[in-house]
Order: sequence, then structure tokens, then C-alpha cells
Amino acid sequence: MSKNISNLSGKVGLKHNLFQKISDNVLKNHPKDNKEIANEYNLGVSTVYGAESFYEFLRPSHREKKAFVCNGSACMCAGTQDKLKQTLKAKLGEDKVGSMFCLGYCYENNAFHYNGENYAGKDIEKIDQILKGEKIKQDKFFSKSYATTSFLMDDKLSSIKQVKEQLTKFLKTDKKEIIKSILDSNLTGRGGAGFPTGMKWDFCSREKVKKKYVICNADEGDSGAFSDRYLLEDQPLKVLFAMIICGYVIGGDEGVLYIRGEYPKSIEAINGCINELKKAGLLGENILGTGFSFDIYICIGQGAYICGEETALIASIEGRRAEVDVRPPFPVTEGLYKKPTVVNNVETLAAVTGILINGADKFAAIGNKKSAGTKLVCLDSFFKNPGVYEIDMGTSMKKIFNEIGGGYKEPVKAFQIGGPLGGVVPLSEIDNLNLDFQEFSAKGFMLGHASVVSIPKDFPMVEYIHHLFEFSAEESCGKCFPGRLGSYRGKEMFDQVKNKTAKIPLKLLNDLLVTMQKGCLCALCGAIPTPIMNILKYFSNEMKNDISA
Amino acid sequence: MSSEKRKIAYIDGKPYEIGDHHTSILKFVKGYLGDDKVPTLCDDPNLAPYGACRVCSVEVALVKDGPTRIVASCHTPVVEHQHIFTNNENLTSLRKNIVELVLTDHPMTCGTCEVNNNCELQKVANDLGISDHRYNNPKQHKGIPKDTSHAYMRMNLDHCINCGRCVRACDEIQGSFVLTMSGRGFESRITTDNDMLFGDSSCVSCGACAHTCPTDAISDIFKSKSADVDKKVRTTCSYCGVGCNLEASIKDNKVVSIDTPKETEVNAGHTCVKGRYAFGFYDHPDRLRTPLIKRNGKFEKASWDEAYDFIKKELNRIIKEYGPDAIAGISSARCTNEENYLFQKMIRAVVGTNSVDCCARICHSPTAWGMQQTFGMGAATNSTDDIYHADLFLVIGANPTTAHPVTGAKIKQQVMKGKKLIVLDPITTELAKLADYHIKLRPGTNVAVLNMMLHFIIKAKLYNADFVRDRTEGFEKFIKEIERQDVDQLAKIAGVDKEMVKEAAIAYATAKNSMEFHGLGVTEHEQGSKTVMLIADLAMITGNIGRKGVGVNPLRGQNNVQGAADMGCQPHQGAGYFNVADEKNQKYYSEKYGVTHPTKPGLKIPEMFDAAINKQLKAVWIIGEDIVQTDPDSSHVIKAMNSLEFLVVQEIFMSETAKLATVVLPGTTFLEKDGTFTNTERRIQRVNRAAPPLPGTKPDGVIVAEMMQKLGFNQASYDADQVLKEIADVVPFFKGVTRERLGEFGLQWPVDADGTDTKILYKETFKLGKGQLKNFDWKESTEITNNQKEYPLILTTSRALQHYNCGTMTRRTNNIDLMDEDILLIHPKDAAQRDLITGDFGRLYSGRGKVDLKVEVTDKVKEGIVFTTFHFPEHMVNMVTGHGKDEETMCAEYKVSSVEIKKISNRFEQNEPKEHQVQVK
Repeated sequence: MSKNISNLSGKVGLKHNLFQKISDNVLKNHPKDNKEIANEYNLGVSTVYGAESFYEFLRPSHREKKAFVCNGSACMCAGTQDKLKQTLKAKLGEDKVGSMFCLGYCYENNAFHYNGENYAGKDIEKIDQILKGEKIKQDKFFSKSYATTSFLMDDKLSSIKQVKEQLTKFLKTDKKEIIKSILDSNLTGRGGAGFPTGMKWDFCSREKVKKKYVICNADEGDSGAFSDRYLLEDQPLKVLFAMIICGYVIGGDEGVLYIRGEYPKSIEAINGCINELKKAGLLGENILGTGFSFDIYICIGQGAYICGEETALIASIEGRRAEVDVRPPFPVTEGLYKKPTVVNNVETLAAVTGILINGADKFAAIGNKKSAGTKLVCLDSFFKNPGVYEIDMGTSMKKIFNEIGGGYKEPVKAFQIGGPLGGVVPLSEIDNLNLDFQEFSAKGFMLGHASVVSIPKDFPMVEYIHHLFEFSAEESCGKCFPGRLGSYRGKEMFDQVKNKTAKIPLKLLNDLLVTMQKGCLCALCGAIPTPIMNILKYFSNEMKNDISA
Repeated sequence: MSSEKRKIAYIDGKPYEIGDHHTSILKFVKGYLGDDKVPTLCDDPNLAPYGACRVCSVEVALVKDGPTRIVASCHTPVVEHQHIFTNNENLTSLRKNIVELVLTDHPMTCGTCEVNNNCELQKVANDLGISDHRYNNPKQHKGIPKDTSHAYMRMNLDHCINCGRCVRACDEIQGSFVLTMSGRGFESRITTDNDMLFGDSSCVSCGACAHTCPTDAISDIFKSKSADVDKKVRTTCSYCGVGCNLEASIKDNKVVSIDTPKETEVNAGHTCVKGRYAFGFYDHPDRLRTPLIKRNGKFEKASWDEAYDFIKKELNRIIKEYGPDAIAGISSARCTNEENYLFQKMIRAVVGTNSVDCCARICHSPTAWGMQQTFGMGAATNSTDDIYHADLFLVIGANPTTAHPVTGAKIKQQVMKGKKLIVLDPITTELAKLADYHIKLRPGTNVAVLNMMLHFIIKAKLYNADFVRDRTEGFEKFIKEIERQDVDQLAKIAGVDKEMVKEAAIAYATAKNSMEFHGLGVTEHEQGSKTVMLIADLAMITGNIGRKGVGVNPLRGQNNVQGAADMGCQPHQGAGYFNVADEKNQKYYSEKYGVTHPTKPGLKIPEMFDAAINKQLKAVWIIGEDIVQTDPDSSHVIKAMNSLEFLVVQEIFMSETAKLATVVLPGTTFLEKDGTFTNTERRIQRVNRAAPPLPGTKPDGVIVAEMMQKLGFNQASYDADQVLKEIADVVPFFKGVTRERLGEFGLQWPVDADGTDTKILYKETFKLGKGQLKNFDWKESTEITNNQKEYPLILTTSRALQHYNCGTMTRRTNNIDLMDEDILLIHPKDAAQRDLITGDFGRLYSGRGKVDLKVEVTDKVKEGIVFTTFHFPEHMVNMVTGHGKDEETMCAEYKVSSVEIKKISNRFEQNEPKEHQVQVK
């Protein structure tokens, strides 16, 4: 939480963004001395070094690898990755294959990253072509809206012409009216915390500061979820449009999308749209002669799940280490570069666009006040119909899994819903749940992104717990004590259980989980106990031989 | 406050009022129930809330008996009606479990640890009753090599708990960004710069990291956090004028380490490399330990009585032969108020001459004089703390991050947080780099640039008409003179961008609170006093005087240079600044001293040198000033000293000046003294004896008092408190000062009889009634007009962070490992013309002399300007500086010397012996 670094980085700002400068410099093998970069910002060399050493993709150990297999939960449960890794190692060398956390191909697995591109499914069969640098034809995810009204998947904002029409309309609309629309829609943030979006915009618009920012959080790397990928790649204008409108409403003139480096196609799609919008005069100075100016930049994440947390994301853009900051102050009062900032996730922004175009009343009419409108749900490859679907809030999970998803290809015993921090829901509980944030929380789960990772019947739960601890140990920012130490000790504990050198010390494990849950600074290490506690509750029988007496 | 307006929250069921300073639950709880009520590890009250350790967690409910949730108290605001529970089973087990996790990665070797019994982790673990952990074979960060590469600091990361306090102190207090956390998660680890050894990093050795580190992961070579000491003594630093409060740890009657007390007003728990670590000189083997009398050109050891008798005999002889005005005294700004007072009293009342001066002559005498002419008193108008209330800083000719590091760090922090900054300096200083407007003027053109600023403000009608009308005199004439200034011409003269000066002037005039600081880059010029008066104009016409966050604030260079002048170590003014030429004042002093006060104003230091060479001055008594190394034109100074019949030097080391003495008396350092120092913001602070004087030495006050007795004056034995009492009786602005009242934090003069002190001067009225607006035109320095043809470069000198003036003290500490020579900075264009590259040796020369220095080519200096420091007697940079003087006060023009430089193959390319090096047999 360095105000100084934030301010000094902010003096230069987004156009010559420090984080981008640091990562570019590393990725180009340090053409510039870190000291040179530090001097440009009046910062210390340590600021640059501290930041670069934080990110997986910027580490020497990562950069010496050539291919990276996805180690997300869905690919792990699918059991495709060991073989994939062997194939790649055989081609590239034993020490040239690393891993990346979730490339967003949960619907077909076998996912890997090579030379700036992602591949999955049957792509590995064309590995020789890929290695030669040839473009190969790739399958796409299946997407369909089952919503009463589609807000996220329709084609009402899929051309520059449509953007121009809508901007012409909304840049003349009273700002308060726009805020009212969003408030009336009952839209809550789709990133997990569930804060009413209209309130966030309203608070930020009331801040009496000249400079304000809009951030699109496109760094949510929840395994099982490829909904952000869908929106960024198939509905990018919906996302960008809402950012422009947000800038207009709050009185900001710059926005930034922080996109995971694991999603190269999304970056490409958004980049293309930004350029087209600029060309069409819909981004930049004095948009459509309204006197309103707005620019959008892209920051590319460098392999840190924590950057999905908004304060870490802001820290990252500023070129600080992406550690979680204390709140208050909240970003709406002191966000990017210490200026009032709206941070919305991709789906929230796309929903705003849908609401503005289709009407708030239609959104509010679906679901209930706290879980209103439609939601993207991602089903993984264990479903007969894997894909991303727009579904009315309140729809029964049974319907989603059995009718929309078409049931399961092979026996499953549980689902992790809402990413690695979401609950592990046993199959038996699915019939009792509807697509509703509160309902999930009340039962000790978490809907989150509404991504679904299926855990097959024969997958040992001890290994799943190990996977969760390993994930949090790997991705913990390291700032808070219970998070940094707890996640690592948990991983060690399950290392020992996995390799049969120790049994689960249940009392200590429970103490550890409660300590992390109550004590951690943010939801990464603070929520990882949720799925683990779910597993302990519902699957203790399966693990009874691993628990010490 | 009416009872309805009180905001109440409950701690463990009891109501407490929420105050403005209760910015978190932790501060609220600690404020009422003490530091130990809630444990903490990552919290430091001087740092922003961080929320890492989570052991400060408490339970809160929004209403009585409402649902509770656990929050970290350090970063959770306290809100009205909230119920806070500081302790229950849940919290205890949470805290225990967290500390247990910490212990899984911490060696359990408290017994042998440097900070045993003074370790925050140890205390928290003990208080929670845990001494072990339950985890099976946890991986630990063990065996990280100890980093002992730094001259002072030590890093032992095996003991680090990753609280980030060191990183935050480096950032939020010092503003240096040397330390960082690196990596992430379990593998995160503290490192410096680009993952370098501590000693190779850009660390400025302030020690803030070691000070805040809760364990011994970062410590220092003095083991300053060890609990194994006999006692701690609070005192005041004897380096620069900031006046940091220090705490000396004593073991076996020796000062073993120095830190700053947690509670301080002046330095907010911070200090710099000099204050914290450069104390090793105090018992250095080089310390003088016996009086010396020079006989036949050779020093011989003498007893105190012998030395006193010898001095008595010589002084009496000279007074008898030539009269008292053949004797002069130079006092020391390093000594206490009490010692300075007594010394000037001895020179005036016992010897009988007003020829007593101090080093203010060569630093801020123009400030004192200029501010007396415009406001009435020669001291900072505001307090250092006002930095937090200013919106804009105007820093002229000062490099506070180097010369006044704690104040510099405070300004830098505010600027980094968005406050505006204007810097007038020919050098790109650390602050200049951050400035909104860095006006990089040529040395000697301050008056030109200030006239430009005044002109732009007047032209834009941005002056404060009410303030000008109600509080000042002379505006009609002033405005005419200012309008007449040819700003284009002045911009050309100063080599500055006219538009930038205009924007800066407007920024200064329009900011809510504009606060000015200046250093010797203002005063050490031919037009030094005039510059000061123009700065006063600037503050007055914009109304930036008399309230918080504004003012004209000289940064005094030495710990007690303010005090030395306050105490009357000036030839024209006695104690309390009464003019000695005034009969009324002579009477006043005669009554106070009980003897007839001399009437003729005495000699200023440069006049003493001339009088010595002219054989009018026969004897000089110097306390703690190495004039040979520090006054300009060293050969001239040496010649003057060698012309004397008798020279007494009271010193702690055999300085370049002491070598020329007839009698050398071994004084003591501040660590061996009681008394008071007055800092740059008029704050009188206590100096408390931390260690007994080294055997054979005497505190300077004792020496003076004993000498006064010897000379037949009815003087009581030296007792600092008694002398302070006498000062309070003589100096009106010390009226209410007593040692007891000064307490831990001191008082800012003027101090009323009831002990009320003054943070801000001139709130209602100036000492002179109305502020006096004065005009001066810029004039080229005579040094330039006379010498520029032959010596086209301008040399300007200043201090480095690591050393202090002639380095007598700092060179005798590990600071010598941080910097061991004076380096000459030269602009790339000037260097290219002279075929110089970084690392070359250059011979710097002027009409006065020469000095060989290593060269660094950098655009930090303006073209045509060369810059160096003057810390090393091996170099004697003052061999080349000139005779230019402030027209009013004779302050030496160190900032403008016409010089030239030529490349030499190495520094040993000497063809003549150094004349100044006096042989000591």
C-alpha cells in the first residue's frame, strides 16, 4: 500500500504505464536497466525489481520454458494433462514444459500455451504444424442464451455502427438517469462480491476530483469459467461501450482493461475493437462532438491470479507488487493512482450495456432483487453439452445441468462451482439449488462466476484438497500472515497425506482452515477453506483412512 | 463540545469517546487502554495501516448484542455505537494460530538472539502463551546468508517475519525505495534495489528499517535493539539544525548505540545516518585527552592548571600591551546555548572586547540580518511541522534531503503525495527531480529570479492587497521598482526559462499555503542579505506569513547555530540581539554582568583574519571551529593564524586549525554534556549527558567557567541549569525557559514568563510593527566580473549526506566507508571541452589555489557550473574559494568562485608540497 509509488506512477499515468513498461522490458530481455525505468518515474530500482519478481511470467524459471500446460481444476479433473505434458516434453525437451493456471478451455481440456497462443481439445494432434508456426483451425466454445431476454448474448451491439448510435443516444442522456437505470435493474457485480453496480457508479460520480478512472477487471482466472473469454472475444463492444458510458457518468476520461496474459485471443479481440473505435472517432478526444473525451488502454496480466482482486489489480497497473491493500479507502474514493475509480468485471460491464439497451425493468424482472437478471454459466467437458450459456437468475440448477447441460458424460460426484474459491457441491445437493447468489451462500457454497468444474467419481478428494491448497500457496500474494503461511502449510500437510507419509491431523487442519477463513486479508486465502470444508463435510467417509485417529 | 455531539463506541462493554485521531479501532483501543491490549506485529504507528499480520483482529458488532464479525483493528475504522471486543476465546485462538504459523518459519533461538527480551514477536508469543507449533516438518527459510556488507546495517532474513515494516519505513518515512519485498507467497523475501547486497545498494543508511523491524532481521552493527544495556538517555543530535531527538543506549558508562525515541515532535521517530550511526567519533582514539602547549613549534602535554596559567599569562600580557581589542573569540555552533552564552560573556565581560563571532557568519548571518530588517527577528517564522499544512513548497538554494535529511524526507513525502514544489537551484537535487518547477539558475542570480517572480505576481495582480495594506510598509515604492524590472533580461542573466518562472510565481502566489525554505544557496552570495529580503517580500506581498503552513524558513546548518547567535556570539549584537553600539544596551549588559560592557562593536570573522595579518589582532580563542578547512581561501586563513602571537583552540580532535594553536584544550562532545541546543525552528531542546567526559577532557562550559575564574571574574562553577537561569534573565525571548519546562520536546522561543512558547511568529504583527518591503536590483558578483575571463567556470560547494562540514566527526566513523572523498561534478559539455570523463582526475584551480579531485560528468549541474563538497582535509577544497562576501554581513560567498579545471593524469601529480600542511612534531 504505497501511496508514494501510486502517486509517482500516476504522475506518468496510463499512457506510459509503469507495469506495462516493466513487463515489456523483462519480456524483451531487459534492453533497459531497471534503474533507467526507475528514474523515469522517480522511483527506486527496488520498486521495479519487486514488481517484476512478483509475476510468474516474468520469472526466469518461467521464461526458459517453451510450452505451458493448463493446470486448472477442470483440466486436472479431466485427467488429460499428464499425457499432454509428456507429448510436449517429447517434442520440446524435458525441461521446456511449464504450466499455467487455467487457460479457459474447460469445455474441451487438453489445454496448453505455446508461443503466445492457446491450444486445446484435439489441437495437440496438430502439434507438428503448431511447432512449425502454422496457423491451425481451432474449435470454439459453444454459446447460447436461454434467457427470457438476452442481455449478454444478443447482437444489439456487435457493430461499430451500433456503438455509434447508442453513444449518440447515451452521451446525451442525463448521467443521473443512467445511474438510476442501473440501480433500478438491481444489477450486482458479477465478480463475486455482489455489490450493487449502480451504487458503485453513483458513489464514484459524487467524488469531487478532476481525474477518475474506469477499470475493466478481465483478470478473473477462475478455472471452470470462460464467460469472460466469451464476452471479450465475442461481445467486446458491449464491454467497451459500458466502459465509455461509465467514464461519461462518473466524469473520467481514461479507462483500462486488465486482461489475463493467459487469454491472448481476448487481448487481440479487444485491441482490434479499440482501434476500430478510435478510427471511428468513438474513442479519444471529444467523442461525437459532445465534448466528452475518453481513452481506453490495455494492461496485460503476467500470471498472477491475485490480480483478479481489485486492490491487487490496481496495484499491478500502477507497477506496484500486486499485493492486496486494506480497505477502506475503497477504489471509488481512492483507486487507480489514488483517484476515484470504478472497477467492474467483464460480465458486469456487458450487463450494463444490455440493461441500457434493453431496459432496466426487463433485467429486474428476472430473478429476485439480490440476484437479478441473467447470468453466464459455464459447463465443463463432463457435461454432454459443454459451453457458456446465458440463463435467468433463479433457474434451478437441476434444469441447467440436466436439460441445458444435457447431463453427464461419465459419473461425477461433486462440482466446484464459482472457481477455486467456490464451494464444492455434492451431486446430491444440486437438486436443492437454484441459480441464486444468496441461496448458494446460505448453504455454505458460493456461486461466484457460476462456472462449473465437475469432479468425477473416481477422483480422490484428498487430491482435490491438495490441489486447492497448492493453488492458494502458489497464488497467495504473500502479504497477510495466515494466507502466506497457512496456504503453504496446508499444501505441505496434503503433500504428506498424498505421499502417505502422514495422515490428516484433523484438529490442526480445522484450526488452520478457521484461521485462514477468519484471519486472511482477502478472499483468495480467506475463501479457499470453503471448498475444503465442504469436502470435509460431505466426503469425510471417502477420506476416513487418511484422517488420523 | 456538547454531549450530543460526542461520538461514543464501546470497548469490551465500556463506552469511550471517539476522537479525531482515532483513525482505526486499533488507535482507539490503544489510546484508551494502552499498547498491550491488542497484540500487533506489522503495525508501526509511524506507518500507514497495512493489515498483514492479522493478530490485531478484534470482534465488532454494530449494535449491542448484535452479530459480531472479526476484523483487523489496524485498518478498520471505529464507528459510532460500535461494540468492540478485544479478547475472547475466538480471538485468542485466532491470534494463537496465526502466531503459531509464524513460529513454523522462525528459529526458536531467542536465548542467543541479539534482540532477546526486546523482540515484538517474542513478546506477542509469550503473551499468548505459545512457544511451539504443531506442524509436521515445515519447510523453513533457514540458512539465508547473513548480509553484513553494509557499513552499518545488518540483515538476517532467517529471522524475518515478512511484516513489510522495513519496506514501508524506507518508502513512507525516508522516501528512498531501497528495500522491497520480492517474489510472492511463501517465497517472498526482503531484498534491496535490484536484488543486491545491502552494502551495494542505494541505501542512505537512515536506519528507519532497523528501527521498525520487530525482530532482529534488520539490525545494525551497534546492536541498537539489544536489551542488554544499563540505561537509555534522551538527548538532542549535534549535527544539522533539524534537532532530532536521540536516545543513547549506555552500557558500562559508554554509549553503545543511538536510536531515536518513539515519541518525538521534531523528528517523528526518524533520524539520518549521521544522527543514528555516526557517533563513533565520541570516544575515538584520536580524541584529544590532555591540554597541549606549543613550545618551540612542538606540542607538549600539559596539566589543566599549567594550560590555564599559560593562557592567563598570555592574555594578560596582550591586554596590557595592546588592549582588549587585540583579542577575539570564535565560538562554536556545536556547543550548547549555555556554553556559547558563557563564552561571549567571557570575551565581553572578562577580556573586554566585542570581538566574538561564530560560524553563523559564514552561513546564515544574511538570513538573520535580512529578516531583522524586514520582519524584526532573524529566525524561522514557522515550525517544521507546518510542512504538513503547506500546499506548496518553495525551496531556494537548499538540498534538505542531503543536508537536513529528516526535514528533507518530510518535504519529499509531501511532494510525493501531490503537494506542489518549486526549487531554485543550479543543481538537480533529489527534491529538484520531483519539483513541478525546477528553476535551474546560475549561481549568483537569486536576486534576478526573485525579482522576476515578484514582477510576475505584481503584474498578474496576484498580491494579497489586504495583507499588504494592513501589515506592510513601502508598497508604493516597491511596486514601482518591481514593475520596472526587465524580466527578459533577467531571465537571460539567470539562464532560466521565463515562462517557467512565471508559472512558478503564479503557483506560489495562488496556493492556499506557500511555505518557503532556504539554505546557504541563498546566503553565501555577495547579494545574500538582499536575497533574504526579497524572499521576505515574496512572502509578505502574497500574505504567506503569520499562520500555519507558510512563512520564511531558513534551514539552519548546524545543531546550535541559531543558539550561538541568540546567545550573542556576534560582534555587533549581544545575548538576545541587543545592539552593542547602543548605550542603553551597554548599560543593560553591564548591569547583568556586573562589569562595564565594551562599547565598540567587535570584529567579524573575516575582519579578524585581516586584522591578524595587519598585526592589530594578537590573540584568538576558538572553540570547535576548524576555520582552516571551512573558511574560504584556506591559505589566507593559515596566514592569519600564523600571524597571531597567541591562539587557543578548544577542540575534540587535532583539527587543521588546532595544529596552528599555541594552546589546545581538550573539550568534549555533546554526548558528555548537559545543556540546550536551539534548532532551526527556534526550538530549545535539552541536551542530556549520556556518558562521563573522557579522562583528561572537560566539557567546554567547564573550561570557560574555570578560565573566567582564573582571570579573576566572579563566576560560579559551571552548572548548565544555573547558566540557563542566567540566560532567561538576560535574553527576553528566553524568559520562561527552565530546564524542567523544556521537558522532552523542548519549547520554541519566544517563551513567555509563564512558559508559553511560540510555534508561529508574526501572527498579528511584526516585531518591527509593519513588515518592511525592500527592493534591490540584481548585480553581478565581483568575483565573476573580476575573474571570469581567466577562470570561466563557477564552483559552488555544499554538503554530502554522509559527512558533516570538515568531517572532523563523520570521517572518524564508518561514514568514511560510505563516502571517502570529495567528487567534482561537471556538466557533459564542460567536461568534453576539457577532455574529462567520469573517473578522471581534474585539477581545480583559481587565483587562490588549487585542488585535485576525481571528476563525475553529469547533467545534474548546469552548464558552466562545477560542484563539490568540502569534507576532506586531503583535498582542502577551500584552497580555491574566494574572498567574495555578502555586502551586509560579510558572509563568505562560497557559492560563487570563479575557477578553471584541467585534466591531470592522477591525483599524485603534485609538483609542490601543500603549503597548508603544518608539520606537527
